[in-house]
Amino acid sequence: MSEALLELRDLSGGYPPVSVFRGVSMSVGEQESVGLFGPNGHGKTTLLKTVAGLIDPWEGDVVFQGRRLNAEGKMRPRISRNFNYDLFQKRRIRAATVVEAGVIYVMQGNLLFPEMTVEEVLGVAPLAAKGRSGVREMRERVHHLFPRLQERRFSKIRYLSGGERQMVSIAVGLLALPKLLILDEPTLGLSPKLRLELMQAVRQIRESRVPLIIVDQNIEFLSGLVDRLLLFDHGAITREIDAASMPSHDEAMAMMFGESH
Amino acid sequence: MISVDTFLFVLASGVLLGGLYALMATGLAVVWTTLGVFNFAHGVFVALGAYIAWQVTQSVTGSVGYLLGAALSVVLMFGVGFVLHYVLVKPFERNANLVLLAVITTLAAASIIENGILLVWGARDKQIAPPISGTVGLMGAEISANDVMILMVALLALLVLAIFLRRTAMGRAMRAVAQNREAAELMGLNVSRLYAMTIGLSAATAALAGVFIGSVRFISPTFGSDPLMKSLIVVILGGVARFTSPILAAFIVGIAESFSVYFLGLYWAPAVLFAMMIAVLLIKPEGLFGHRSKTL
Repeated sequence: MSEALLELRDLSGGYPPVSVFRGVSMSVGEQESVGLFGPNGHGKTTLLKTVAGLIDPWEGDVVFQGRRLNAEGKMRPRISRNFNYDLFQKRRIRAATVVEAGVIYVMQGNLLFPEMTVEEVLGVAPLAAKGRSGVREMRERVHHLFPRLQERRFSKIRYLSGGERQMVSIAVGLLALPKLLILDEPTLGLSPKLRLELMQAVRQIRESRVPLIIVDQNIEFLSGLVDRLLLFDHGAITREIDAASMPSHDEAMAMMFGESH
Repeated sequence: MISVDTFLFVLASGVLLGGLYALMATGLAVVWTTLGVFNFAHGVFVALGAYIAWQVTQSVTGSVGYLLGAALSVVLMFGVGFVLHYVLVKPFERNANLVLLAVITTLAAASIIENGILLVWGARDKQIAPPISGTVGLMGAEISANDVMILMVALLALLVLAIFLRRTAMGRAMRAVAQNREAAELMGLNVSRLYAMTIGLSAATAALAGVFIGSVRFISPTFGSDPLMKSLIVVILGGVARFTSPILAAFIVGIAESFSVYFLGLYWAPAVLFAMMIAVLLIKPEGLFGHRSKTL
């Protein structure tokens, strides 16, 4: 594996006082694509939201290209509920810092901006790239990747189908010129045809060597896309599998829950 | 009954009121839809804006002073609104009771600013000299030229605001934050600054309304509370589904107020407006125009 791009060191977090994931350590290398597989409600999305800077980590570090993105140390617990801690306690990680570093998180089932048109949303998206060059080329590629969005450019997001919204979400992520793109269940709740279309698009993104973290419930989908698969179970990474020995869906379920899942 | 030129006169004064309410209510609605908090300090923004302009007209006379005062008032109030976000809303933004806390903090700010005005400028009523005098004839009715100018500029200001929100990158970013804060954060937008800008813009429109009201009525430290109440009625009546919803509602409220004052007297006019508001809340709680509660 080449040098680590993103590294999580003993990361713990959750929604205080509920701890959701504990001691997660993982890394993603340059040009690498990593899959995260695990059942619903085990904390994958919470972990990724923490990495993206939406939720404060409790402990541990998020390091990207050798730079720590979160504040040092542990989160101090609240002693009293009758006190405005937010005045004194700064956020421990900021989405703006993470985006600036180049880590772009594409939320799961994202509604984006319901009252804006596709064109307006795609116009705002490159703001995340903070003036880096290459937006024009990326716009071309996005057109090529999702021709359907071109047809629907004057529609409000509210009127798009689930699949089209997902396409807009991914397009927004790409227009931010990510150095690492995190896709959280891109095919969630889509019809088989749309699912295929989207899988095709993700494959093309993969081929363009953008480093990826992909979460999905479907191992068959992941196995063609990722170099490594991490099994995520009860808030921790329990197993790491490389591409050569990719299990089938049933095998993976068996690894996590025993034979009689 | 009512003669044609009286009717036209009453109608014209209603339309003027509508323009002023539209300006104020839009400012209120923009903050409500973007931050999700109700700004009770909006009324004192109007008052403070008027006093700043009045102060300028004391040293620079004539329409130059008026223009200078209006411009300075709009710019300064933008700054005041911008800063107040960091004082009134930002410290509580992670609190689950933000909406309630903001009611209290903005009410507190309103009270403090109001008394500040009282300390600085005193309680005596003041008036900003209208920049233009004379009347315009409208089918026999004589309408003050100043009123016509106010209406034009108010509508123009709203048009500029609408274009800013629709067409510019900054305006679109503000709408994005209003519609989905998390997604906007993930795009690296500076949410706090955009919120502060929103309150700033809202305060600037309030200041403009204050300058206008100050030139047609008397200003006193508490005079902002009446327009605030009317704007509240407007926002509830029209809803905030579209940018134009509060504007249309503002003209309905303005005209209704003007005719109630003529037919029922000054003291019954608020009762009529509140009755209208209650009727709308009963029949179509999301407002007359549009069916969604929160957009921009």
